[in-house]
Amino acid sequence: MDMETKTYTYVAGKNLDVDGSAADPVTTQLVRNSLNSIANQMRNTLTRASFSPIVYEANDFCVALYDHNICLLSQAPTLPVFLGTMNFCIEAAVEGVGGVEALEPGDILLYNMPYGTGSHAQDAAVVMPVFMEDGELAGYACNKAHWYDIGAKNPYCTDTEDLFQEGVIFPGVKIYKRGEKNDDIFRMVEANTRTPDYVLGDLHAQSASARAGADALVKLIHRFGRDTFRMCVQRMFDHGEAMVRDFFAKLPDGIYTATSTMDNDGLTDETIDFEITVEIEGSTIRIDYSKVPDAVAGPMNCPFPSTVSGSRVAIGMMLGEGGSPAEGHFRPLEVVTRTGSMFHPVAPQPCYLYGWPLMHAMEAIYEAFSKAAADLVPSGSAGDICAVQAYGYHSETGEFFFNGYALPVGHGASADADGATLYVPALAKSTLPSAEIQEAKFPFVFRKWNLAPDSCGPGKYRGGLGVDYEWQVMHDARLISTVENTKTPAWAQQGGLSGTCNGFTIEYPDGRIEKRNKVTGLPVPDGTIIKIHCGGGGGYGLPSERDPEAVRRDLEEGYISEQHARQYYPHVFG
Amino acid sequence: MSSRIGVDIGGTFTDLIFFNEDDGSVLVDKVPTTPAAPEIGCVDAINSAVAPDLLRSSSYFLHGTTVGLNALLERKGSVVGFLTTSGFRDVLEIRKGSREEWYNVFWVPDAPLVPRRRRIEVRERMLSSGEALEPLIAEDVIDAVKALREQGVTAIAVSFLNAYMNPAHEIEAEKLIREAGFDGAVSLSHRVSGEYRDYERSSTTVIDAYVRGRLSNYMEHIESRLRAGGFDGTCLITRSGSGSMTFTEAAERPFETIMSGPVAGVEGAAELARTLGLGDIISADVGGTSFDTALIRDGRPQLLYEGSVLGMPLQTPWVDVRSIGAGGGSIAYVDVGGLLQVGPQSAGAEPGPACYGRGGAHATVTDAAFYLGMLASGNLASGIRLDRGKSEAALKPLADRLGYDLTQTAEGIITIAVAAMANAIREITVEQGFDPREMKLLPFGGAGPMLATELARELDMREIIIPPCAGNFSALGLLTSDLLQSAALTRPMPLNDESLSQANDILEGLFKDLKSRGSAGVNGTDTQLEVALDLRYTGQEHSINVQPDADDGMITAAADDVQNRFEATYREAYGGILDTLIEIVSVRASVRRPLSGSMDFTGTESIATSGSTDSVRAYSFIHREYSEFPVMERSQLSGDKQRKGPAIIIEPTTTTYVDADCRYTVDAGGCLRINLEET
Repeated sequence: MDMETKTYTYVAGKNLDVDGSAADPVTTQLVRNSLNSIANQMRNTLTRASFSPIVYEANDFCVALYDHNICLLSQAPTLPVFLGTMNFCIEAAVEGVGGVEALEPGDILLYNMPYGTGSHAQDAAVVMPVFMEDGELAGYACNKAHWYDIGAKNPYCTDTEDLFQEGVIFPGVKIYKRGEKNDDIFRMVEANTRTPDYVLGDLHAQSASARAGADALVKLIHRFGRDTFRMCVQRMFDHGEAMVRDFFAKLPDGIYTATSTMDNDGLTDETIDFEITVEIEGSTIRIDYSKVPDAVAGPMNCPFPSTVSGSRVAIGMMLGEGGSPAEGHFRPLEVVTRTGSMFHPVAPQPCYLYGWPLMHAMEAIYEAFSKAAADLVPSGSAGDICAVQAYGYHSETGEFFFNGYALPVGHGASADADGATLYVPALAKSTLPSAEIQEAKFPFVFRKWNLAPDSCGPGKYRGGLGVDYEWQVMHDARLISTVENTKTPAWAQQGGLSGTCNGFTIEYPDGRIEKRNKVTGLPVPDGTIIKIHCGGGGGYGLPSERDPEAVRRDLEEGYISEQHARQYYPHVFG
Repeated sequence: MSSRIGVDIGGTFTDLIFFNEDDGSVLVDKVPTTPAAPEIGCVDAINSAVAPDLLRSSSYFLHGTTVGLNALLERKGSVVGFLTTSGFRDVLEIRKGSREEWYNVFWVPDAPLVPRRRRIEVRERMLSSGEALEPLIAEDVIDAVKALREQGVTAIAVSFLNAYMNPAHEIEAEKLIREAGFDGAVSLSHRVSGEYRDYERSSTTVIDAYVRGRLSNYMEHIESRLRAGGFDGTCLITRSGSGSMTFTEAAERPFETIMSGPVAGVEGAAELARTLGLGDIISADVGGTSFDTALIRDGRPQLLYEGSVLGMPLQTPWVDVRSIGAGGGSIAYVDVGGLLQVGPQSAGAEPGPACYGRGGAHATVTDAAFYLGMLASGNLASGIRLDRGKSEAALKPLADRLGYDLTQTAEGIITIAVAAMANAIREITVEQGFDPREMKLLPFGGAGPMLATELARELDMREIIIPPCAGNFSALGLLTSDLLQSAALTRPMPLNDESLSQANDILEGLFKDLKSRGSAGVNGTDTQLEVALDLRYTGQEHSINVQPDADDGMITAAADDVQNRFEATYREAYGGILDTLIEIVSVRASVRRPLSGSMDFTGTESIATSGSTDSVRAYSFIHREYSEFPVMERSQLSGDKQRKGPAIIIEPTTTTYVDADCRYTVDAGGCLRINLEET
């Protein structure tokens, strides 16, 4: 594909043309607390009215509130990697309907073009402009939620070749116009999904959430007055920036590089390497993706908004600062990309699996930081959500069933603790659905839900254990697997070692056994057993320095076998 | 005769309250908690405050304790072994995979209550249909018991997959455990909870096994000493899900008491709301370290059916009390970015706020309030004389950082603390679709009445009701508990007349189960059987609790009526309804027995203080300046006319701040009522 490539440096945050230092610090706190409360209100509205478990259980959505310059006012604890993309979603949605001039009070916009949302088409952004009574634009209330299905070639895809195989596109359309529901769009949505109840239900929930946020923002601005509100917001931005710069300024300046290896692009099974550079310069952090390969042929490309978002989340989680950033927090971060590359694909390059290069990138960013100082980050995680999903039409009821979830994996050890078993940072707030609920709803029987002994990366502190999940489909079904990192284990630092790689095995009723990584639409008969191995986390420090007592305890608990102990911790055996 | 003794054990103080039904008098006492053995402190407090003849003639001893919670907190419970379905050994350790601190890349979860070596798999498998896929292999259980005994296990928790649908294997396992000679406590998941979600039910079962020994010994100690003193009444303990249960039942279901800490106050608030017909109220309990708030609608607190304690899920009803780290002892500081922050760190009781003069150097909410004159002369009931110089010294560094004077700094601290409390209230009201402006605020606890005016103003609420004995209101609330038992069973099925009839079959079983629990000896007057259904739109996970019309524990409503009620509730919460089939998820039964005799504490007279009633110079938040505030004795205001603020109203265990834009009066019920003017 011929195209002009260009390197972009993205820096967040326009300022309001007011002096934040003139704002009263107490009033600023009140404004900030109230903005966070509104975001929580938006989250609660969406969660409770939503239809799909992926929203209410997996927390695969986000809500946020922006000012009229599309600067982040507040966000609720929801899917971390969605949160950093919402400014791009608003920008693109507004542009789609004809720009700011085309917005009217009561409008609600729907937008899901991947290059603007940062996601795949299934992740639908809903944006409501917030107007004061006199018609002045005050900001935007918005959210993005993962829809069950919006008509891609399969309910989930690992092998798309362009945008048009990935789902129906809503390039910025008004689902409500001046408060009036636009039924045409709802009918379009309904006609283009395999799961209309879920998707329409979630779209209603998203609209209700945006409306709740918009109403609350207007009330809040009235309470403090427009001028005071703006000054406080500016001060809030400046405050966030100062907090983050204070943290970065303490880190050693330098340029740190890490390389990541993806299993494949989804179409062929060749590994793909890419390199990310982290530059610390005073209190500014520059994350440079410009040297990554051109966009791959398959869907393992991460659109620019998610490239920025992944960088924001990686940095934000290092700060450990309570999780309510506003625009100012992002200002010290610069993101450099190249158009047409894996981390800045352009239409119609495929990007269905955008989240996977993104998870890789976050690990690479942390690995690069680990070279700046020994205690900045823990070692790597198994770096994936190890999701395998099954779908089909129930032979008795004719109903479409579709089930499968993100899974927690082993996480890396740090300078003073063993690693844990958790969701990867990109999905930090996700929750694992109960086996009993899944069995009550879907034709599956779970056979195993256990930690995987010996999966942890050895070290002075060992990595977190991976997990073995096994389930059996009790109905003919088709499988989708996005399992990544089956070839490359978690990275480790200071002499620690890697844990096990992720793995996905299919055992057919006729005894055939297949090891796979990504598959789309693979038919399997009733009785097939799915085995997923979520890999272990990386260790920290030399295994020979591990406290013998800790090794003995791991043996006693069955976290490791005697063979593993003898191989990696011979000092314990004298 | 139904005199009642209530003892509420807090972290710092043990509150005692005795209600004499003969003459309606109330006796209050406060003694230091003895953390190492609170049961001894509890009985000592009773013996020293309640005369032997009164103890002998009392009908009820009602108790609130955090002993179960503390056992979890300090990890000082039984040595528990866990038997589970083969393949599911690590459910407790894998949890739900999420991070409590979602923005912290270093966060790791606490170790599970039962370490992996004591979690043992046995071969068995029930399906979600209730059919057995694999039988229970007896020798697995026998081997497991042997292995666990070698590890010194004193309690065994059993949780098998889908036991909520068919508990046969759990029952069989218990039999085998007993046959193998194990005589410690055995907790079966289906007895703990009839609801689905294996991790949550397993976690609850393990908590049950973990705290049972400690709580049983504790209650036995108290009961035997009370009996030795001649007490012949019933011993009751508060439940997390409101109401109380007998000691006998609590020994079998100790997990039901774990989250009862803040519940007694809410119960008292609900009782007051019912007695006085207050309509919807919001309780605001402000202590030294935490702020607890609950919404009370139609005279009852809101119930949730699953909570979590110290990061562990607990599948049992609990009163929806939101707690945040904001109280009189919360410490103020200026952060790296130059903004003022308050809490969640607290100076606690030791060293306490700077003005206590016990070595505390940090400025707290109490320091700010005292500096502003909100605590009048600062003579507290416990004999503490607040030190103004120490408050100033603590506020000074903050003022310098902020470029404020001391008054602005103190005002800022109060404002920020109040804003955090208001946000907690918004969570249970605005964020759930309820408007606090139509409700009344009921503040209590040591610091509640001090902050009430500002809190109401922040929420645009007009009416404040400060109950009698506001500083000890939680203990008073204890005495109002009904005896309550509840059970539930998950059985997803479409809502129709046929499934309602199945629900009635389920209810019959649940009520039978409740009757078999240890509540003998309670002279319950009119027993009320309560019925509820968890309903949802098919496909949704979140359900809504609906009470259908029922008679004697059987649903009499038709499916259409139930649907209407569901839709009305749904519309109230979400603003609209959906065109989707409705299903029943779980069926809930409870038995409520009000304690015999009457317990009307309205009209309780306030006790006089020894504080000065000279007027003080205090800060008015509405006028943003200092003025003279008259200081009034609450006990002198009974039946008084309506007065205009400002005022500081003192009583032994709390102080009420009334700003200049308020009117106040003490009504016939002994409640101090404050009205804010319309702005």
